[in-house]
Amino acid sequence: MELTNTKKSRQLNSKTKMTLQCYLMLSTQIIGFIVLTAYPIFWAAKWAWFYFDNIPQNTRFVGWENFINIFKDSAYWRAWGTTLKFAVCKIPIELPLAMLLAVLLNRRIKGQGAFRAIFYMPHIVSVAIVGLIFSNMFDYFGVINGLLTKFGVLTEGVNWFDNPNTALMVIVLASTWSTFGTNMIYFLGALQTIPEELYESAYLEGAKPFTVFFKITLPMIAPILQTVLLLAINGTLHINDLVLVTTNGAPGGKTFTVMSYIVKQFVPGFAEANVNIGYGCAMALITSVMYCIIGIVYSKLSKRLSEIY
Amino acid sequence: MKKQTLVGNIITYIIVGFVAVIALFPIIYTVASSFKTNAEILAFPERIFPRNPSFENYITAWNSEDFNIKQMFWNSTYYTVICVFVTLLSSTMAGYVFTRGEFPGKKLIFAVFSATMFISLGTITVYPLFDILTAINLNRSLWGLILVKIFSISIVNIYLSRSFIKTIPTALDEAAIIDGCSFISIFFRIILPMIKPITATIGILAFQSSWNEYLMPSIFTTSVPSQRTLIVGVVALKNSGDGAASWNLMLAGSTVALIPVLIAYAIGNKYFVSGMTAGAVKG
Repeated sequence: MELTNTKKSRQLNSKTKMTLQCYLMLSTQIIGFIVLTAYPIFWAAKWAWFYFDNIPQNTRFVGWENFINIFKDSAYWRAWGTTLKFAVCKIPIELPLAMLLAVLLNRRIKGQGAFRAIFYMPHIVSVAIVGLIFSNMFDYFGVINGLLTKFGVLTEGVNWFDNPNTALMVIVLASTWSTFGTNMIYFLGALQTIPEELYESAYLEGAKPFTVFFKITLPMIAPILQTVLLLAINGTLHINDLVLVTTNGAPGGKTFTVMSYIVKQFVPGFAEANVNIGYGCAMALITSVMYCIIGIVYSKLSKRLSEIY
Repeated sequence: MKKQTLVGNIITYIIVGFVAVIALFPIIYTVASSFKTNAEILAFPERIFPRNPSFENYITAWNSEDFNIKQMFWNSTYYTVICVFVTLLSSTMAGYVFTRGEFPGKKLIFAVFSATMFISLGTITVYPLFDILTAINLNRSLWGLILVKIFSISIVNIYLSRSFIKTIPTALDEAAIIDGCSFISIFFRIILPMIKPITATIGILAFQSSWNEYLMPSIFTTSVPSQRTLIVGVVALKNSGDGAASWNLMLAGSTVALIPVLIAYAIGNKYFVSGMTAGAVKG
């Protein structure tokens, strides 16, 4: 009886010890969550109801005003338009390209590893440097204009950053260049899990390559496609640094996406001094709620993709 | 085996080769142009390789007072080293605690940490962070950002190490417990040496992301230009308004910023890819 009691207390003791050690090992991250994640959210949720520009005597409660102003803020909604345009331009170029390259590399050609490494390489370059490189290449006196006039495609150079459409096109190209390799690797990984026999029997029955692609390959990698598409949508919604570095909104703030617009308007070092931070908080809240809704709608709509097989 | 015709292979090589050229072109162009004079960059834009390559841009950058590349390289280096070390330690520890540890609140904390993947108000939250740093007498500086990094949760890396530690048999832990090892020392003596492959992956991903980081270091160093990292400094050169006048310095700076990640990629190519796919499947 006594023996089991000491055993029990020792077990209890070791349990508390374990708990203490677990919390000790997680301590920085738990503190970090409270101080760096949770507190700023409450902070923003509070100040969204105030006029607040860091000058104490200007601070006043304004109620719904910040939120109402967002709906009147045409620059903010133009940034939404730009973001959607960016997504609609980029994703249909990037994903089919990545898919095509994955299918081609999956033919087990010589040098598959080298090509895979080359396609992924742009992704390791800092997005800020990507922006610099592309704004240099597409400069009026840059290499792209130089090559296009040399080969007679253009008679004279184009001012790529003077027109919102061509400026956005440069951002789309830079962004696609930077990420197509990652998507190709996701697709390639999925393709390699498709059993060889499926193809064999299809070809035995005389199926054409296109039929095989649409009837076997595509349905088999549908679950990965769902994830890749989610990541692509998420990536385009959050595009930020690239826009700030490549065009910085040029011309006239017309190429700002939502995230870069918020940075440009409210974040120190980018924004003007003494902006209404309360308004920025309201805008950040509205934006993240809308992003959440997009995410939920997407996962509802795309559910079928993951359930094909 | 699939049918692999000769024509098919030739078409494959043409397409794949063409895309490979496009993938490489901006990098090759940047490195090659960093050896041109500014006059050559502007006068012969269609020329990709320099006619008379020279190290002049690098020498100018090295000696420049405004574009202090030595200082920026050093800032980038210590920032990256500390970030990598902190990320490695905290995410492997968390991965270990969430697989082997048993304590009240485990599920809740894991769920909350996972939620950080989705909850974010973006950059507006730098204001409360500044308030906190001021409250503890730390300025807005690179060191302030490092402090933020020490306390932040890198959930993807936690997932990576968690799923790796799950594959390690518990027999060793049990033997260590009998020998009187504590929960923490099991991690440092037994688990940590056994998870080298995943620490390589996490380390190389953390290296790439912190070396390449732009927005946060830029926000935290706006009032202290001497603490700019390389990436921030090179971009600041573009925004300084000199425009075309400093393309040569920008290209040289970009090349210097590129070299460390390219070397890391050449050495640890497989870790980049394995980290990415594992992160996608598990995360």
